[in-house]
Amino acid sequence: MWSFLRKRALIIILISIILLVSLIGFSIRDRDDVSLPEELLKDTIGAVQSIFQVPIDFVGGIFEDVSELTNTFEENQVLKSRLSEYKDLLYDVKALEKENKELRALLEKKDSDILESYNLIDATVNARSPEPMWMQQLSINKGKQHGVRANMAVITANGMIGKVKTAYQFTSDVQLLSGFDRNNRISALVQSNGEKENQQDVFGLIEGYDEEKEALILTIQSTDKEISKGQLVVSSGMGGVFPRGLIIGEIESVEMDSYGLTKVAYVKSAADLYDINHVMVVDRNMNSPESDQSEEEES
Amino acid sequence: MKHLFLPLILLILLVLESTATSLIPVQWLLADIQPIPHWILIFSIIITIFFDQDHTIYGLVYAVIFGFLIDFTYTDILGVYMFTYGLTLFIILGLKKLLHPNFIVTLLLTVVGICFADHLIYVMYFMIGYADMTWMSYLNDRLIPTLLTNMLFLLITYPIFRQRLEKWADEQFST
Repeated sequence: MWSFLRKRALIIILISIILLVSLIGFSIRDRDDVSLPEELLKDTIGAVQSIFQVPIDFVGGIFEDVSELTNTFEENQVLKSRLSEYKDLLYDVKALEKENKELRALLEKKDSDILESYNLIDATVNARSPEPMWMQQLSINKGKQHGVRANMAVITANGMIGKVKTAYQFTSDVQLLSGFDRNNRISALVQSNGEKENQQDVFGLIEGYDEEKEALILTIQSTDKEISKGQLVVSSGMGGVFPRGLIIGEIESVEMDSYGLTKVAYVKSAADLYDINHVMVVDRNMNSPESDQSEEEES
Repeated sequence: MKHLFLPLILLILLVLESTATSLIPVQWLLADIQPIPHWILIFSIIITIFFDQDHTIYGLVYAVIFGFLIDFTYTDILGVYMFTYGLTLFIILGLKKLLHPNFIVTLLLTVVGICFADHLIYVMYFMIGYADMTWMSYLNDRLIPTLLTNMLFLLITYPIFRQRLEKWADEQFST
């Protein structure tokens, strides 16, 4: 009897190992379409999570408010002194915007022809993965029903934090910048800060995240261009899904790579990747290649 | 109605695990210290010790189901937590028969269970290519903080649930 039980346990363990390997194999490949049971399960858990999130946010909000009250006075002083500057700036921006619009009208360009234009979808973070280092993943409370699609950029007020990995009906998963690898690159450009006259915008690719330096890795093909610390890095909009001009971060240091063929710059991300509560999903107005394809199939 | 208590508690724990992660101080994360909440595992172990009779395996079944839900909601690799929690509870089930159910034994089994489960998770993620830390840094940065924070959780849950689980078990299995 005992040996029979032993044998049965052994068989069960063997079967579960086979099941494990096939499950890993199933989930590790890139899937764009999500099956119906997955969506149902994910949205159910998302609903439970959002119920719990309300009281927790409330309590956390009280603590944050109290700690912010202590340095309100100093902040107020600084902000007041800056206010007059902003008024001038606002006037300039208004005038430039108007001029820009008139020029665009002359060229007969629509909103969807402009790389920079996008709509924002507000969302709240439901949960962060309990594997904080190995799974750089968030889930947010907006999904396909609200217009979120896979691969859209996700930003906070300070800058880009990641992109939508999978969109379910009412929730979606976000891959953080710190979890990026070679499979999801961002086409970026280093903005010239206008100090020198011959300086130009430099294009590059964000290819991953250096965990030791805690910075994004930006590879630049053109080695002759000059790049200095503190320059702003924004998305270029050439990758197909992101609009142009989303702030990613600023250059921290520049090195030649080990073969001396490309330059590698380390970019400090502008947004805080650890303390995220409210995010915005960026839906760009210009058609992205994927949606073009689906339109062609329909027609 | 009472049958639903255990799955409901486990579901709440599943949700609270991610809330606990967002409460980890940022300084710890910047210093690469990562305590992982294994609350589902701990609660399943307590169920196995105080709720399960000799012929039932509720703890194991719940561990497998909720391990799968952890995989599904929080990671993009299915099966890792499910397999790990299942195997750990299987071993705990064997060890339970040799020992008396009291606090010291629960503490011991939890430490063994977490060490075993977290190592298995580390090895699996290492093989898939998600974790790229050496074993020494894994030990310092992940296993020890994980053990300490989870002991804290055990100290809170044990007094609350021990009597209740035994009472529920009496009610459920005596009829």
